Amino acid sequence: MIDEKFVVPKKLKLISYGLIAIGIVTFAIGFLTDPGRAWSNYLLNNFYFVSIAVGASFFLSIQYISQAGWSAAFKRIPEAISAYLPFAAVFFILLVFGVHSLYEWSHPEEVASDRLIQHKSVYLNLPFFAVRIIIFFGLWILMTKWLRKVSLKEDAEGGMAHFHKSELLSKIFIFIVAVTFSAFSIDMLMSLQVHWFSTIFAAKMFISAFHHGAAVITLVVILLHRFGYLKVLNRSHLHDFTRYIFMLAIVWGYFTFAQFMLIWYGNIPEETSYYVHRWHGPFEILFFASIILNWFIPFLFLMPRSNSRSKLVMVPVIILLMIGQYVELYYEIWPATLHEAKFGLIEIGSWLGYAGLFILVLITYLAKASLIPKNHPYLEESVHHHF
Amino acid sequence: MVGVFDNEFDLVKAFEKVKAKGVKVDEVYTPYPIHEILEGMGKKTRITHAAFFYGLFGALTVLGGMYYAAVISWPLNFGGKPFNTFPSFIVVTIVATILIVTITTLFTFSARAQIFPGKAAKIVHPGATDDKFVMVLKSGEAGFEAGEIEQILKDSGASEIIK
Repeated sequence: MIDEKFVVPKKLKLISYGLIAIGIVTFAIGFLTDPGRAWSNYLLNNFYFVSIAVGASFFLSIQYISQAGWSAAFKRIPEAISAYLPFAAVFFILLVFGVHSLYEWSHPEEVASDRLIQHKSVYLNLPFFAVRIIIFFGLWILMTKWLRKVSLKEDAEGGMAHFHKSELLSKIFIFIVAVTFSAFSIDMLMSLQVHWFSTIFAAKMFISAFHHGAAVITLVVILLHRFGYLKVLNRSHLHDFTRYIFMLAIVWGYFTFAQFMLIWYGNIPEETSYYVHRWHGPFEILFFASIILNWFIPFLFLMPRSNSRSKLVMVPVIILLMIGQYVELYYEIWPATLHEAKFGLIEIGSWLGYAGLFILVLITYLAKASLIPKNHPYLEESVHHHF
Repeated sequence: MVGVFDNEFDLVKAFEKVKAKGVKVDEVYTPYPIHEILEGMGKKTRITHAAFFYGLFGALTVLGGMYYAAVISWPLNFGGKPFNTFPSFIVVTIVATILIVTITTLFTFSARAQIFPGKAAKIVHPGATDDKFVMVLKSGEAGFEAGEIEQILKDSGASEIIK
């Protein structure tokens, strides 16, 4: 039995408090000087970290459902990442106060003069919007906390019953996530340009969440190993993590390209309006930057076998992926809300603030339980994983 | 010399012992891949590199061919689109590249392994393609002593030894 306990480093805790303070100050300045821009930042950063948390919890469920042996030793990391969800829920409920700065459909005078928005207002109206946020987060928090509870019980009691229960819960959870996260991304991002629609948009955002969630899990695992925890990590585990990132990079590229190509080829004004805004001026470069960061670089650099087992290659690729997710969301939100590419200290400061909170939640929850699960039936296989 | 084993563990035992003696094992036939054997044989393949370059070559050829057809040889105006409709070429490129890589890699592998349709099969033991674990050693290898090797195989639990 491996007994590893994560101790929260005092320094890291102080740093994360500092980052949170930076975030609070930035938002205070932002809301006073330019509320529209501050709300855009608020939406972007919330969506960014919720994507990672939901992607990580989905990753965990996939491990249970596929009865994957190799990842058993690392399941505390996705568990700790998904502990961020309750905090995100509070932020998203507060987003209701900012809808007027973000969403066209929330302006009654716009709705009155626009047949299309009237048609959509059965779904896109403020009360239902708020109720949906509560339902989505309620379900996510319920399921992730439940999985965590069963996992901790397994540590204490052992036996197969908890594993089977986790598997059943995971099966339910992936159906819930498929439906709710799709609707969530439509509510939060696609409805920013209320006249536009894309049937593949939700799938694309879901894959993006899974992609970056898997990348962040890998980064956390590598960092923990670097600082003396998770000694069981070997090159075969790294290769398996890389396989997830590599595969998801391809799927991400597939969905992004599928959305673009069909709209470009169909050339229908209702659909092309989305890309017209994003192909003029400063946003054009972001379109290509997003494809290069999220698909091309992982695809090319993680392809050789030796690279996919090397931390020296994986860490820079993951950091570029995290930038890539920022670029992707920036590219969704800014052209729709601010119509111009503003990037400055407010963007950086607000991201740092959320990153601080994310790190704080992560390390707190990592320290709450044994870093390596104790009675997981596949633990032995995971420790001796080799191929 | 051919050693036939009934299970994985006996084979791996014999394999390790023979290797420890410094004798090169020529070939091993197993019903499923076994880690120790895969690594112990020390065989490296360059077919993945070959496949990568076939893919690169295939993608460029397909793109070039379509560019030639649509822009240079026979430009046609489809709904006001530019002649070089690059995004719509990509789907064809992916599919055709997969086909090119598959076929060229198959041919490369066949050529390197010297196999072709109609070649007479060289089966060292009837169980080699079934449920037996078979190890083949060549008598010409350095350090090969028939009596010693036979003893190792026998001690490890070989069910049959063909000299």
